[in-house]
Amino acid sequence: MKRRSSMLILLVIGVLLVAGCQQQPAAPAEGYLSTIKEKGTLVAGTSADYPPYESVDPSGNFVGFDIDLITEIGKRMGVEVEVKDMAFDALIAAVQEKKVDVVIAAMQASPEREEKVDFSIPYHFQKDAFIVAGDSTLVLNSPLDAAGHSIGVQTGTIQEKWVLDNLVPKGTAEDQIFRYERVDQGALDVSAGRVEILFINADPAQKLADDLGLKVALVTSETVIGGQSIALPEGEAALKAELDKYITELEEEGFIQQLQEKWGIP
Amino acid sequence: MEFLKDLIFLINYLLQGTGVTLGVTLIALSTGFLFGTLLAVLRVYGSKPVARFAAVYSTLIRAVPVVVIIFILFFVIASIVDLSPFLSGALALGFASAAYQSEVFRGAILSVPAGQMMAARAIGMSRLKAISYIILPQAIRLAIPPWSNEAAIVLKDSSLVFVIGVPEILRRAQYVSARTLEPFIAFSAAAAIYFIMTFLVNRGLDFFERRYRILM
Repeated sequence: MKRRSSMLILLVIGVLLVAGCQQQPAAPAEGYLSTIKEKGTLVAGTSADYPPYESVDPSGNFVGFDIDLITEIGKRMGVEVEVKDMAFDALIAAVQEKKVDVVIAAMQASPEREEKVDFSIPYHFQKDAFIVAGDSTLVLNSPLDAAGHSIGVQTGTIQEKWVLDNLVPKGTAEDQIFRYERVDQGALDVSAGRVEILFINADPAQKLADDLGLKVALVTSETVIGGQSIALPEGEAALKAELDKYITELEEEGFIQQLQEKWGIP
Repeated sequence: MEFLKDLIFLINYLLQGTGVTLGVTLIALSTGFLFGTLLAVLRVYGSKPVARFAAVYSTLIRAVPVVVIIFILFFVIASIVDLSPFLSGALALGFASAAYQSEVFRGAILSVPAGQMMAARAIGMSRLKAISYIILPQAIRLAIPPWSNEAAIVLKDSSLVFVIGVPEILRRAQYVSARTLEPFIAFSAAAAIYFIMTFLVNRGLDFFERRYRILM
């Protein structure tokens, strides 16, 4: 029996040793970019429940604005693109741990996220929208007019943070904030009358409102901090330079504009 | 007619996720079974430090939500050893289930009369032999009813692996719900599939329970 417990200790030491070896920093100048080019695939993490940016079509393929964009970037980098779907909340950790090479998920570069990963230059600037029920009498002239009303947001988003930072000091109580895993759940609660306002990114807002008989009360850029960027592992300057280069190129060629029209994104 | 066509398509689409769900469940249950039995034996018959370790493992794991265990295994441990999301998810569920199953088997082992161990030892069997030929065969049979409960829980918990990107039934239902904005239909269909699977699994285990019942 004594032998067994000492074997356990050995096992633990073994695991720790292996873990220790992982720390070796063996980064050449090109860094992670050369690793990606060597394996010939760029693994792009996304959360495929956010049309028109990313979703899954009936035959099971990943489609959307972000998917088209990263596929084109991959083509120009000379690598295949493999899309990996996971929960939005898990994406930052996934790129930190290099489970995915980059993240493209209509994600904004917030300061909190910047602490953990790096971001490319924005490939798209967007607006936010406040959605209310079809028969709502609520008038929103500025985003701050939403204070004091019950409001729904998607968890882990910039919009959630904006509500906490700006509406809570103005009188929105914590129990008036409803956090949803996905925006369509929030929209359904607005249409059911459980929540007065849904505060989300403007792009899916109009379609969502039309589908459920809701109305968009306000579209604004006052609440937006930055555009949507591609997230990549921290400190990989060469990879960032490559992504930035192609985003600029695609912007200048009008490719991004075409994609916006294709997917109906303002 | 259009509706019916959509529904058939939907069910067909979700059913493609059953393979993943069943795979995850099977790996999780068997990992949990092997590891859980071992932990239970160590807890009852092991030396003090070993029994202590098994008890701490069970307490610790049962105190942590399964999703957290999945995240830890995928983001921390799988950065050391290369594990696919599918395997990390399945093993995380297995390690969690091991804790619960160890409690099930510990109870079952303790309910085998202590005199049997003494009798086995008296006729010259080693402790290991007595455990594997006398105690465990009876304990495992006694454990079938609570174990089938655990099997149903693991089957349903397998939906949690979607957080690290394993597209099982629930994640597929979310894709459909996001695309069609009809969550009720998508999730009801998923619920129906889970119900049928759980029902069949429990029916199967009921059969085993009757077949291997110990008449005392």
